[in-house]
Amino acid sequence: MIRAFHFIVGLFTQKHGIVAFVFFLVLGLLMHRAPDATRNNVVSVALGTVFYPAQMVVSSVGQFRSVAHENEMLKEENARLRQETYYASEALQELARLHTLVRFDDKWDYPIVTARVVGHNPGRFLTTMVINRGTSRGVKEDMPVFSMNGLVGKISKATLTHSRVQLLVDPNLKLSVLERRTRVVGFLESVDGRTLSAMIPTHAGVKVGDTLITSGLGGIFPKGIPVGTVTKIRPADLEVMQLMDVVPFQEFSSLEEVFVMGKDAEWVIQELLDE
Amino acid sequence: MNSLKWIKVLVVFIVCFVLQTTVAEWIQLFGARPDLVIIMIVSIAIKFGPAAGCFWGFFAGFTQDVYGPVEWLGANSISMTVLGFLVGQLEERFLTLNLPMKLGVLGFGFFVHDMVYFLVTGLEKDVVTNLFLSETVPECLYTLIVAAIYFHLSIGKKKRNV
Repeated sequence: MIRAFHFIVGLFTQKHGIVAFVFFLVLGLLMHRAPDATRNNVVSVALGTVFYPAQMVVSSVGQFRSVAHENEMLKEENARLRQETYYASEALQELARLHTLVRFDDKWDYPIVTARVVGHNPGRFLTTMVINRGTSRGVKEDMPVFSMNGLVGKISKATLTHSRVQLLVDPNLKLSVLERRTRVVGFLESVDGRTLSAMIPTHAGVKVGDTLITSGLGGIFPKGIPVGTVTKIRPADLEVMQLMDVVPFQEFSSLEEVFVMGKDAEWVIQELLDE
Repeated sequence: MNSLKWIKVLVVFIVCFVLQTTVAEWIQLFGARPDLVIIMIVSIAIKFGPAAGCFWGFFAGFTQDVYGPVEWLGANSISMTVLGFLVGQLEERFLTLNLPMKLGVLGFGFFVHDMVYFLVTGLEKDVVTNLFLSETVPECLYTLIVAAIYFHLSIGKKKRNV
């Protein structure tokens, strides 16, 4: 075994590392050019085996640091929430009366699964994370993921014990958003895997500082989850549209806990829109 | 590299990734984080040569790829392999690099890594320009500062041992 290992090492170090370079370069290119199904399998196998113990260590280190800080915050929050509870119960009663009056039927009543983030991208381009809840806890693909601050992304792959979360900054996640003040629907995406940009009709008059929420269109995300704030407005290629930089309410690199909304994707909405 | 050194490097590798996902996040300045993984790959490549640089570079890149978009799988592996191979050509067995030289190699490697990454992912030109100015340059500078401290300490330790 050791002899075989030394033989391989000896082979790779030949020609001043060119053999090793060509080997790993070809391996990298094969992965990059592989079909989607193969790439998904490679990622799932790696996450479920080699990297899983390492993820647990990393998340434990992060959690240890935040416990003291979180305790302080929770004490303050507890005091504030006690005060708010009284007002909230009053307001709820009033809201129930109003709902009955206008026959309002647009509220979330989906089960929520709390999950701990156990895997972060160790690189500089964070677009995915791993959580410690999977199909055994009812988590399925395309379920929305959010935090106390706002939308985080959606489940892109669920296994028995853990799931992969596709973050908002993933270039493959496109999202329909609604500007809260003007109620105009737009489109949010990331082209570089780091920043978010939204495309909203010019006539809407969206300003810097306005906030975006999910529109409920598309069938995955329910309406009303906070997404982010508009920080810069730029002209788009089309005159009728404006391109705007958006800062998400949730900073993804500091996430420790998230909530998965037990809502199945309603593809029928998209099908009806297509029709 | 003998077996003991492989184990040693593996431990450093794991510790480095733990630090990158924890400490590097805590010490970020204006959104810029030092890239400890690149410092590690450059150090390994300088110390052990291009073959080790390629191996650990590929392994480090793959670890990052696993958490990236599936469509870009392999981009980090390729760019880190290139980084490990190029920097490995300046192996310490043949050359003696002082602190400024090491920092120069690291800076060069950082830019090469990012350029190869942008090339493989096929991002548009204006997106690359924006990323280069807003991410690559500040993070490279921050990484150089952290690396200067690390290289200074490691050179001092080597001198004491001599």
